[in-house]
Amino acid sequence: MKVVLQNLTKVFPGRNKKVNEEVVAVNDFTFTIPDGKLIGLLGPSGCGKSTTLYMISGLQKPTSGKIFFGDDDVTELSAESRGVGLVFQNYALYPHMTVRQNILFPLQNLRGKDKLNKNEMLERAQKAAALVQIDNLMDRKPSELSGGQQQRVAIARALVKMPSVLLLDEPLSNLDARLRLQTREEIRRIQKETGITTIFVTHDQEEAMSISDMIVVMKLGLVQQIGRPQDVYDDPVNLFVAKFLGTPPINVFDGRVENGRLYIGEDEVMKVKGVEDQPVTVGIRPEGFTPDSKGRLVCGLNGVEIMGRDVSVVSTHPASLNPVIRSIINADNKIDTSAETVKYSLKPHKVFLFNKETETRIYFEVK
Amino acid sequence: MVESKHPWKAWIYLAPAIVLLLIFTVWPIINTVRMAFLEGYSSMSAVGGMQYNFGFGNFKQVLQYKDFLSCLTNTMLLCVLTVPISTILALLIAVCLNAIRPLQRLLQTIFFLPYVTNSIAIGMVFAAMFNMVGSAFGSENEIVITAGIINNVIEFFGGTAVNWINAGSTYWANITVMVVYIVWNALPFKILILLGGLQSINKQYYDAAKVDGTSRRRVFTKITVPLLSPMLAYVVITGFIGGFKEYSSIVGIFGDDMGPTGDPRRLNTMVGFIYDALANKQGRASAAALILFGIIFVVTMINLYVSKKKTHY
Amino acid sequence: MSESTMKVMQEKDLRKVTSSQKAVKIAVQFMLYAFLILMAIIIIFPFYWMLISSVKSLSEYRLSVPTLFPREILFSNYVEAFNQANLGRLFLNTLYVGLVSTLLSLVITVLSAFAFARLEFKGKNTLFALLLATMMIPGELFTITNYATVNAFGWMDSFTVLIVPFLVSVFYIYLLRQNFMQIPNELYLAAKVDGTSDLKYLWKVMIPLALPTLISITILKMMGAWNSYVWPRLVANKEEYRLITNGLRNAFTESTGDVNIPVQMAAVAIVSLPLFLVFIFLRKYIMKGVSRSGIKG
Repeated sequence: MKVVLQNLTKVFPGRNKKVNEEVVAVNDFTFTIPDGKLIGLLGPSGCGKSTTLYMISGLQKPTSGKIFFGDDDVTELSAESRGVGLVFQNYALYPHMTVRQNILFPLQNLRGKDKLNKNEMLERAQKAAALVQIDNLMDRKPSELSGGQQQRVAIARALVKMPSVLLLDEPLSNLDARLRLQTREEIRRIQKETGITTIFVTHDQEEAMSISDMIVVMKLGLVQQIGRPQDVYDDPVNLFVAKFLGTPPINVFDGRVENGRLYIGEDEVMKVKGVEDQPVTVGIRPEGFTPDSKGRLVCGLNGVEIMGRDVSVVSTHPASLNPVIRSIINADNKIDTSAETVKYSLKPHKVFLFNKETETRIYFEVK
Repeated sequence: MVESKHPWKAWIYLAPAIVLLLIFTVWPIINTVRMAFLEGYSSMSAVGGMQYNFGFGNFKQVLQYKDFLSCLTNTMLLCVLTVPISTILALLIAVCLNAIRPLQRLLQTIFFLPYVTNSIAIGMVFAAMFNMVGSAFGSENEIVITAGIINNVIEFFGGTAVNWINAGSTYWANITVMVVYIVWNALPFKILILLGGLQSINKQYYDAAKVDGTSRRRVFTKITVPLLSPMLAYVVITGFIGGFKEYSSIVGIFGDDMGPTGDPRRLNTMVGFIYDALANKQGRASAAALILFGIIFVVTMINLYVSKKKTHY
Repeated sequence: MSESTMKVMQEKDLRKVTSSQKAVKIAVQFMLYAFLILMAIIIIFPFYWMLISSVKSLSEYRLSVPTLFPREILFSNYVEAFNQANLGRLFLNTLYVGLVSTLLSLVITVLSAFAFARLEFKGKNTLFALLLATMMIPGELFTITNYATVNAFGWMDSFTVLIVPFLVSVFYIYLLRQNFMQIPNELYLAAKVDGTSDLKYLWKVMIPLALPTLISITILKMMGAWNSYVWPRLVANKEEYRLITNGLRNAFTESTGDVNIPVQMAAVAIVSLPLFLVFIFLRKYIMKGVSRSGIKG
């Protein structure tokens, strides 16, 4: 089912009653989530991504704006009537129930024409458990399960009632690194198999990029950019988005444009057609550097980290806004590690210019 | 922990406590067991050089003694009535308190008030409320001089006044008053513990249940009560222990006589029985005290066993 | 809910669902408040009745239709109660016993808790376990022998008999020991390195850090003296040593049935007042102490 968010806004009253400071958690969020897609809400903590998720679930009411499931306005509908599945960050499995009882619980709530008999319930619970591959753990208590298994139980519990929308709140944050990789593939697989519109919240850009059909990058309640992960990565609308996506993170420099030429510090590095003369912030993706003896960007060489296929070169530049510059280059490019400096030429489509004040993107023509 | 150069130092710190405990706790335990098994022991005649047989005589005597059996019945009856009533009522109040925002703190404070009272003093207030005093009581031309507020309320709603605690009152009327008073007295502690338990339940369980469309009833029976079961077990166990030691609340309402005028000792309890025999029938008192201890021990063990089976995590 | 059923659901139905949900919510909240306020009135009514009765004249109290608001407020009942029950004397006795026993009890408790929490000696854990085991035994069991013991000591009818037998409370030692254990041992080691004596460390570090527990113990102990009834009645029922609860009960136990209830209620109010004051100002400590103990005053 498609989910439509229309000018969604959530304002929390300030904690201090005397000072009337309100917190705008989500500000005028409009977006149509297409049917059957996996959407990642991404941003640093406090950006309003969880609040958005809770508003979609019905646990929190928007201050203004509307939410539609399909064509139906569900804004005023409470959580129990929306038929969403929600997986909590710490799973919220009932500790006194077995895995089976936990998964059966939502089914036992059904009343009226939706009511199932006992066998149907058991069958559906078994199916949901099989989908997440925990059907051999049905009689355990949550305390007897590992974090990853608990996570699966939580997903099974959310899926068993065949929700119209599946919501996941930081689904991987409580897992260790290895399990995280495995589980995110798992979530992708389950979503593909069921075809349920799925929205998940994360602060980890890698996680969001790796499995989402689309990502929504948020900051302080405001949506920054929405798009396919690769598009957002390749074409960020502002400095925040550019910095937030990508590991290693983007390298940022002080620069200026003069007569259609881009200067980083005193180095004139490339032509940027169609940009007025002005000071700019320059972002260069780590993979945007090519070692080149005729390169214009001259950096102090700190060291080289071999990563197999690629090498990571750590260098410095006086105009760099970060302590070091990290570039990823193909291992075929031989670097003289004993040299004091390294010279780079830049790949134009990996270089982004931003307005110094507003930090919005300044586009230039790439020939 | 530090290995002290002077291990005797610890014993100096402990000395006052140990001396007092030896005299007033350890010796009584030994002595009580000793006296309980010396048949017909009485310290006064013991001073006179009397010798006693060792045996179960005291226990047999106590258990056959009519007064003791009535004390046992009273105690059990009060326990069985007050513990469930006060627990269920406290659970209801705690759950309701937990579900409201405005006035929560004020109401919480009010519900805690009976805890900080003197059970004898407030017992006298209850006695006044349940009082009914007449001249020529029981005769045809009896005149009620003072009817307590409870009877006024009953009459206001068209009922007839009940003789709750005065001369000529029935046993069940007395028990009713005691149940009301004991429940009133027991609520604050139970509410405090249960409310604390409720507030420590993770809110996400309720959010999860809400998203799954769970009815209020099911949330209460399937989530709240099971998650609260350790607190409930605690409240029930302490309730039973306190119930078996019931004494001063009865003194508060009925006075030292432990019964309405004209029928003293009618509402006597196990503890009351021990106190009555304390001064010169120590053998009997000791046997009764050991029986009391045994009952409390067994009931606690049963409670622990049941709650262990019922609380799963 | 599948997509098709959602689509069938007209907007009207949705609106109906939401408005009925709201109605149920309001109704439930209303019922919650109704129940809680009713219970609160029942809980508080005895106090209210005590207060209004204590200022009524005897004739007003005896009206067949009682007044819920006294017609005239008569403080003379309080004066009479104070004199009739000799409350002044009882009050001083209780205060004396309460203060002395609290003070001594605190010293003993702090010393023992410190030994159990910080010092190392043979048999420590066994001793501590034995102490805890005694908590299971009902106090009445001790009373039988203690009565004979204090008699043999010749302590009958004295303040000593009211203070000494209850100075040690295993529960308080346990409570304080737990609190002491939470204080990081590094502090103790640091103090040792600096050459601080045990006693000085106890006084300067442990006691300030454990102050909330000590306050809880003090309040419970004082309330204990105020409310104690059985033991004082057994061993010190002479007027000069009588404690307040005992005195209150004695002063108004009459078999004639013609008690002046307003005066009696005034006396009860006087006895209850200090407890309420303690409750109002030290509620936090009481609640904390209580939820850990389950032991009444």
